[in-house]
Amino acid sequence: MTNDLEVLLAKADAELQTLQTEEELLSLRTKYLGRKGQLTALLRNIAVIPKERRADFGKRSNEIKDILSDRIDVALKEARNRKRSNDLLRQRIDVTLPGRRVHYGRLHPVTQMRREISAIFSRLGFTVVEGPEVELDYYNFEALNIPADHPARDMQATFYIEDGIVLRTHTSPVQVRKMEKMRPPVKIISPGRVYRHDSDVSHTPMFHQIEGLLVDRGVTFADLKGVLTYFFKEVFGSETVLRFRPSFFPFTEPSAEVDIRCMLCGGCGCRVCGQSGWIEVLGSGMVDPAVFKYVDYDPEEVSGFAFGLGIDRIALLKYGISDLRLLFENDQRFLEQF
Amino acid sequence: MLVSLKWLKDYVDIDLSVQELAGHLTMAGLEVDAIEEKKPAFSGVVVAKILSIRPHPDADKLVLCDVTTGDQVHPIVCGAKNIKDGDVVPLAKVGAKIPGGYTIKLSKIRGVQSEGMLCSEQELAIGDDASGIMLLPDDLALGKDLGEALDLTDIIFDIGVTPNRPDCLSIVGIAREVAAITGNKLRFPSVRFAESDEDITRLTSVEILAPDLCPRYTARIIKNVAIKPSPLWMRLRLDAVGLRAINNAVDVTNFVMMETGQPLHAFDYRFLEEGRIVVRRSKPGEVFISLDEKERVLRDDTLMICDGQKPVAIGGIMGGHNSEVKDDTETILLESAYFNPVSIRRSSKWLQMSTDAAFRFERGIDPHGQVRALDRAAQLLAEISGGKICKNAIDQCPKTIEKIEDISLRIKKVGDTLGTKIESEDIIRMLKSIEIEVKSGRDDTLLVTPPTFRVDLTREIDIIEEVARLYGYDRIPVAMPAVSATLTTEKNGDALAERISNILNGCGYSEVINYSFVTSKAVDLLGLDLADQRRNPVKIANPLTEDQSVMRTTMVYSLLETMRKNANAGSFNLKIFEMGRVYLNQGAGKLPEERICLGCLLTGVRYEDIWHFKDLQGDFYDLKGVLENIFEDLKISDVKYVSDVAEPFLHPGKACSLVLGGERIGYLGEVHPNVLDAMDVKNPATVCEIDLERLTANKGSIGYKDFPRFPSSSRDVAVLIDVEQEAETIIAAVREIDEELLEKVSIFDVYGGERIPEGKKSIGLRFCYRSGDHTVTDEEVNQVHDRLVKHIVALKSVSVR
Repeated sequence: MTNDLEVLLAKADAELQTLQTEEELLSLRTKYLGRKGQLTALLRNIAVIPKERRADFGKRSNEIKDILSDRIDVALKEARNRKRSNDLLRQRIDVTLPGRRVHYGRLHPVTQMRREISAIFSRLGFTVVEGPEVELDYYNFEALNIPADHPARDMQATFYIEDGIVLRTHTSPVQVRKMEKMRPPVKIISPGRVYRHDSDVSHTPMFHQIEGLLVDRGVTFADLKGVLTYFFKEVFGSETVLRFRPSFFPFTEPSAEVDIRCMLCGGCGCRVCGQSGWIEVLGSGMVDPAVFKYVDYDPEEVSGFAFGLGIDRIALLKYGISDLRLLFENDQRFLEQF
Repeated sequence: MLVSLKWLKDYVDIDLSVQELAGHLTMAGLEVDAIEEKKPAFSGVVVAKILSIRPHPDADKLVLCDVTTGDQVHPIVCGAKNIKDGDVVPLAKVGAKIPGGYTIKLSKIRGVQSEGMLCSEQELAIGDDASGIMLLPDDLALGKDLGEALDLTDIIFDIGVTPNRPDCLSIVGIAREVAAITGNKLRFPSVRFAESDEDITRLTSVEILAPDLCPRYTARIIKNVAIKPSPLWMRLRLDAVGLRAINNAVDVTNFVMMETGQPLHAFDYRFLEEGRIVVRRSKPGEVFISLDEKERVLRDDTLMICDGQKPVAIGGIMGGHNSEVKDDTETILLESAYFNPVSIRRSSKWLQMSTDAAFRFERGIDPHGQVRALDRAAQLLAEISGGKICKNAIDQCPKTIEKIEDISLRIKKVGDTLGTKIESEDIIRMLKSIEIEVKSGRDDTLLVTPPTFRVDLTREIDIIEEVARLYGYDRIPVAMPAVSATLTTEKNGDALAERISNILNGCGYSEVINYSFVTSKAVDLLGLDLADQRRNPVKIANPLTEDQSVMRTTMVYSLLETMRKNANAGSFNLKIFEMGRVYLNQGAGKLPEERICLGCLLTGVRYEDIWHFKDLQGDFYDLKGVLENIFEDLKISDVKYVSDVAEPFLHPGKACSLVLGGERIGYLGEVHPNVLDAMDVKNPATVCEIDLERLTANKGSIGYKDFPRFPSSSRDVAVLIDVEQEAETIIAAVREIDEELLEKVSIFDVYGGERIPEGKKSIGLRFCYRSGDHTVTDEEVNQVHDRLVKHIVALKSVSVR
């Protein structure tokens, strides 16, 4: 009889190997282990087994029940996994179809550039301040040591509103307005729109500048060089080569124009740098004592430097935009590239 | 200013390459903007001599010449009349290229072979003379390339001279800088000439009635001049610096102006009534015809050079038509004067006459350079016109030109300003190189006197700049300022603007930057009311174009204009915003109020047309949702949307004001079809404009509250209300009763049409109930909910569906 048990196990095992699906495995379990199953049927015959072998028979039948049950469970688990895998594969999607995007908007390149520049000067401790765009002649010119009837006014073609009021031609008037209100140390930058009566391939009647001003005891031209060198290396990379050269602004002395070595040609001369190898990027200088007089600072006590740079121009250089005018045409095809 | 290298070398030796020289000038503050190589406009043209001339057998107007190039004789057919045997002329040989793209070919002219062409100045683009064959000096080597023989190559620097350096508006001025750079010596043009016995005072006099405008007037008279074209060398010099040759008298004045920086004028003496010069102010309404034959009506403040009766020149700006040098002029009065810079600038601005002379006078010429330039011009004119210089010059100097004061230069101040120590010997050496006189003061202070032509040097800082410039900015070290800590409490408006634009970006809106000025028609196109303050924009007195003639008073026009341009370019779906200012006129003499605004525009589809989304058009509620996001982020919870027909340019049924704390901070709405039509925009658009400062002033702060731990229970109810009734009225009614268990009421559905009575709409309301200390029971909720529903239904024209 014990042999019958072994035969049953072998048969069930062999059958198990051929089955794939959950349903088949469940019916196999019923067939052998169910209440009306074959193992149960064998056990019913226990009465015909000699008494002394009954214990062995019972033990062995329990073992076989456990073995079979475990084997069927394992097979079931496998079958279920197989089925899920197949089901999942049937749900395959085309991953190359475009995603369900709600398009995000972009920041104007001038704003991106302005934020970057402001961030650099903020790290150096400069505070952002603002001033009016429609400005008094006094702040735009006079207090910056550009009197009426001075040829220096020709340097900045001006939009006039009425006698004594202009569209500011630079962000420099903010210097004066702030110095009037505070005592040194002064450490400010002032970004904003400025206006020049000029319109051609390389000029738009409106553009953006950032003014910088640092006034304290003992500020030197060497400091000016240091701050601006740091700035340009931050913007254009540590390899950037700068050149400070003498220039003239009525409100600074000594004045310096800052050029960077053309990143396109590396200084050999190309279309972007007008064959010179250098690109003019900024005007700067030590604050002229005459300006300090206007705001009642003592030039024997304090000194400082100021600079003004065109944000738009820096953006053009940095992003490789070919034409300044594109900045204010607001063409979607332009805006979406930033 | 254009500067000829060849001319420059007349006054200073230059042993630098062109690029080196340009680099040094730029680093000395004289920025070289461009370098142009000047070359002859021809090739293959040589010096030749006419051996014989005989008539052409077959043409009356042509002659046959045999010309030699030294080793070869060429038969040439020629039509000019001005040549004779022995003349030295330019010969364009076969294969020569001459201006106009012509190549000379071997040709037969009326049956006679011609091996080239004799050329006029004009044909070779050397000068304007087209009257005959160019006659060359006899001493040129035959057969030599003409360009070489005449030395027609040159290098032209275009130098951007800053307004503080009028002394560099001359070749000598630039040469002086080159001398300082190279250490070579500056050579002044020598002035030596003979005078006739006739004293100038017997011929003329100068009377200055406006000494404030004309502190100095000098004059000479040259008699027996023959007016003709200047010699080639002078014409080439003038051409090199961009001046057109006129005749020898005028050319001399221009030449000396370019050489020395002192503008001069030549009068035809015979047209000076009473033979004398009177310098006075113009009379109001005085009419004068200038050299360019334009009639000028004067004010009362222009300096006029007059004869005994009438004006003959606008002082320092332009001569008069009535006294200009003519072909038959014999006696010339040369003027060399110093005029008040401000006066010249005012007059030239007002008359809109910016001449080379005015440009120099208004920047300030050397107040002591008049006589030298006058003598130099007299000498040159006598040399090239055969004239005789009358004895003596007139030098009227009624008002002493301010003497240049000595300036104290503290050596320490130089170091303190530049951040590097420069030895006093070095400073002295550098200053001397640009003719600044150094009187040694005490050890730590120098007493310096700038030369008279350096009108820009009046203060210590001016001298420090010269030291820095000559020392070299590149040699000044790079340092970092050790600055006292500054504690600022400046309000950082930028941070909030950044935050708002980040939200807008996230919502799909891209930033635009429009010009601050718009067309003056904008206010009409938007249909603004006559009483609207925005109809009275700040006007630009000198706009570039009408489209940019007034400062904008609203953002909406700019946004619509951007939409129109994009539509023209084929982009019909736009979500854009701009943060910028509008300018509100505060009346004459006052600065406008500049208000920082946010403007947004939405047109076209809600989402980009792609396989996931159907063609859903964006509308009012899309943009409203964006604003709600912004308000929520700024923790501003009480913005009211008031449908009071916010703006004339908005759709009367789809627009509202945005009200915060009882104050109108902006508007939101669909653009009125009339405005779309007026602006030639086809598609509907929704816009908003918000006063950013008022918005950010109301910014709330984050106040965390523990969130409830007990579950909520909700009830939905649909009510019917009149189509015109605003849903907000129901919500407001619910909030009126302060039910503690009611956590939130929201609108989850709006429905009209089928199964809804005409003139009504169905609003689906969801009430959410929750208690902070226990799980609410159905009975509790039902009680409260019933009370609320009863309260709503009690309202006029509300019924439960």
